[in-house]
Amino acid sequence: MIKKILAWLSILLFAVFSIYPMLYVLSVSLRGDNAFQSHSLEIFTANSTVKNFYTLLWETDFLIWMRNSLFISTVTTLLGVSFASTSAYALSRYRFRGRNMMLFSLLATQMFPSTMLILPFYIILSKLHLIDNFWGLFIIYSSTALPFCVWQMKSYYDTVPKELEEAALLDGCSQWMTFYKIILPISSPALVITALFSFMSSWSEYVIAAVVLQDPQLYTLPLGLRSFQASLATQWGLYAAGALIVCVPVLILFISISRYLVSGLTMGSVKG
Amino acid sequence: MKFQLLSYFKVFFVLYISSFAFSANSSGVLEPSANLKTNKPPQLRIQLWHQMIYGHRQVLSEALRQYEKENPGLVIQETYRETEELRSGFQAAAMGGSGPELVYGPSDQIGPFAAMNIIRPLDDIFTSDLFSKFDPLATPIYQGHHYMLGGVVGNHLMLIYNKKILDRPPQNSDELIEIGKNFTIDEDGDGKIDRYGLVFNYTEPFFFAPFISAYGDSLMTADGKPNLNTLGLKKTFQFILDLRDKYKIIPKECDYETANALFKQGKAAMLINGDWSWGDYKDAKIDFGIARIPLISETKKWPSPLVGTAGYSLNINMRSPEHLRAAVNVMKYLTSEKIQLLFTEKVGVLPSLLALRSNPLIKENSLLQISVNIMEVGSPMPVIPEARAVWDSLRIQYQKLLAGSVTPEEAARDAQKMSESQIHDMNEILQPDFSALILKLFIMIGGLWLCWASRGSIVSFIKGFHGPQRFVYFMMLPAFIGIFAVIIYPFFYNIAISFSNFSLRTFQDWSIIGVRNYIDALTDARIYALFGKTIIWTVVNVFFHVTIGVFLAVIINQTMPVKGFWRTLFIIPWAVPQYITALTWRGMFNQEYGPINIFLQKYLHLSPVQWLSQPFTAFAACILTNVWLGFPFMMIVALGGLQSIPHSLYEAAFLDRANAWQRFKHITLPLLMPVMVPAALLGCIWTFNNLNIVWLVSNAGEPGDQTHILVSYVYKAAFNLYRYGYAAAVSVLIFLILVLWSLGSLLSQYKKETK
Repeated sequence: MIKKILAWLSILLFAVFSIYPMLYVLSVSLRGDNAFQSHSLEIFTANSTVKNFYTLLWETDFLIWMRNSLFISTVTTLLGVSFASTSAYALSRYRFRGRNMMLFSLLATQMFPSTMLILPFYIILSKLHLIDNFWGLFIIYSSTALPFCVWQMKSYYDTVPKELEEAALLDGCSQWMTFYKIILPISSPALVITALFSFMSSWSEYVIAAVVLQDPQLYTLPLGLRSFQASLATQWGLYAAGALIVCVPVLILFISISRYLVSGLTMGSVKG
Repeated sequence: MKFQLLSYFKVFFVLYISSFAFSANSSGVLEPSANLKTNKPPQLRIQLWHQMIYGHRQVLSEALRQYEKENPGLVIQETYRETEELRSGFQAAAMGGSGPELVYGPSDQIGPFAAMNIIRPLDDIFTSDLFSKFDPLATPIYQGHHYMLGGVVGNHLMLIYNKKILDRPPQNSDELIEIGKNFTIDEDGDGKIDRYGLVFNYTEPFFFAPFISAYGDSLMTADGKPNLNTLGLKKTFQFILDLRDKYKIIPKECDYETANALFKQGKAAMLINGDWSWGDYKDAKIDFGIARIPLISETKKWPSPLVGTAGYSLNINMRSPEHLRAAVNVMKYLTSEKIQLLFTEKVGVLPSLLALRSNPLIKENSLLQISVNIMEVGSPMPVIPEARAVWDSLRIQYQKLLAGSVTPEEAARDAQKMSESQIHDMNEILQPDFSALILKLFIMIGGLWLCWASRGSIVSFIKGFHGPQRFVYFMMLPAFIGIFAVIIYPFFYNIAISFSNFSLRTFQDWSIIGVRNYIDALTDARIYALFGKTIIWTVVNVFFHVTIGVFLAVIINQTMPVKGFWRTLFIIPWAVPQYITALTWRGMFNQEYGPINIFLQKYLHLSPVQWLSQPFTAFAACILTNVWLGFPFMMIVALGGLQSIPHSLYEAAFLDRANAWQRFKHITLPLLMPVMVPAALLGCIWTFNNLNIVWLVSNAGEPGDQTHILVSYVYKAAFNLYRYGYAAAVSVLIFLILVLWSLGSLLSQYKKETK
């Protein structure tokens, strides 16, 4: 009994810890003009107003940024999932020269401080005339998300028994058909996780987008939100309202796939 | 089910593509060159990057739309960038041979830009009598050339007072302290100040610089050398400390937002702020007056605010002579009488054209008249690139002083030393030494050897396309081409510049100089200290991520009803984009308005903690933020691991009367290890290289550069101090450290498993 109470207590404590910051953002967004400044801890007060949300949606380019972000993230996700699922399969199922090297180099790409890559990215993209163009972002985002996605997909494939493919091959399926018709559907939990990761990495990326996109009509959400944040005059109310709305699609995504989340994120639990 | 999911994706995709098919052509989303295909007269597109605050942006946009209407065929695209981002973004763009035609910003950016040779001198473009029409402050000169045409003059600090509280501003510092004391009150007697005499962003050197000249010294000598180890600076340090600790008329911790907020709520009688903030107070319906910052009674001198301009400069890169012509015309238009008056009328700034000073709009504007009077005691903002090193060193030492780590004497001495060494590093053009030759030889021989040694592999690689493993190739290649195309070139580019003298003075023509940057990095004691701190940062973070993650996972898995609900609840921190997390927590740690301190005071009756102005607490704040965003990932991984543990094991243990702890120790933990170790490994790499949190929570390493970890230090060296070569060398070192460490831990894990 005592154990149960302790468990509940600690869970509730961590629950407060994990949602309070977002409630704080909510309260700031509802405060109207003097958004940032309040000595009260209450979230809803008598002065609460949705004015900031109204201004944000109808008087700024927020919806355009939202559209751009959704578009970029969706394309990145599709590219990322299709590339990661195929190459991870090869890495999981076939032994070939340089395989270990490739696996390690995937991990190694995560080790270089990404801030130093900005300048060379800019140089390449401007040589290829991809500045102010979504293609530049598609390429960079899907490739930077790939290493983790490949690694993660590979771990999942490792848990799928080999006998499945052997049976399919005996039945006369081609390698591609085996992969496409049998392995891929089984792996949907991992595919979902991969999709989630690609989506999130492009949804919240800011630094590269700031380099590539210069036309405000092409801005993504992080860039747009940043523009409320002038050095000495931040519009906290608009910023907070925007921040909340930015979190919503990701949260919906997380909630809708949360049952895949646990089974899909294997991190190499079982050796294949 | 699985099939369904895939088809959802398809539907989603089709919907998206079709919704964009309509918009793509009209707005030119996917084809920036779309306008070339239409039959209209060819359009000329001029880009302008600026850092105007919100109110000013509206006026700029109005002016530009008007200009476009008058000049058909011309499109002007204005882009807002935050000041620092504008600086680094413009550097990168100009370096890549492009960038906006026009760039608008404060006058101190022309020094670095001109030194890098990425903006144009204006002397050949405009006649000298055009310059003479402007206030000299608006046409700053760097090394004998004009580089900027200012649209406004000002940006200077002044004393702003709330007329409801105070009917007359203090005339000298004694009066300031007297009035300050009278108005610093704890109304309800709970030990917490409810109203302050004076507030300002005093942790930022720009805001305390005016006092230095009142104590008789200047920041820089006339020939641009730092002049910090002075009596004046020490006295100024002491003055601010006295205001805070002896007279207690300013808050213990006060950043710009807090000062602004306190004043707007009528909780501060006086404020030191710049002319840009007037609009804000007018909107907040504060009845305010302005005055000079009070005379220092001891020296009988006025504090001298820095007066600058913000204006337009021309990019060195122009796509065509037409672009240059058009850009020059836009620049003339934006600094013309008409537009300057528009700005004055709408946002109340002081125009830079001398002819306008007698305009009734300015004559009858009492605020502007007092402002002109304040400017008389001002001094021009230094524009040389070295000023940046002076500001930076001053900021670092000053914040250390405020945190109580050094005395005023030490702070002044160290600031001088530091600025001298920073200026030296910034201006030094490293010459190729002997190692450069060896290096080049080495690379040549290495390259040839690599080609020779891998000739077999290359042949078999190409043959592989037709061999039985063809399938593997086609599966592998798309991803790896993507990864290598995007990562490999930048990676080698960085290695190349890590051996080069790429810096402020060699921005356009750098060359390989050998291993100097590595020697500099490896002989610098700071790097080792930072390395130690980064390890603490990584270990503490990953430790908490994993323990909290496993703890929650075990509890949720064993005792909680509605597992899905709790799982979703704890995922929230993960779903929030990192930059939002960082800025939210920064707000929560605010000394005056942050909910954490309010909670401490209201419910625990503790005194407020100055989270962000003490090195230890600031670093702890960064760690807390990062723990918050990192534990959900580990929790999910652990939940996955727990589900794969067969239930029969627990039943057997139960029969053997193992208690909960024994069950955890002997069943759960060992079986979770194979799942948690790779996750923790990846977590370590991510945390080690996580720039966002430290940079944004501690506001670029505050206080006094004492919260940096290695990556944030690299970022600062590259983008704030222009030492690209050095920064690249440190990043290569970071990379090597991580590669060696992860190889080591992978190997040791491999050994354990095969035992």
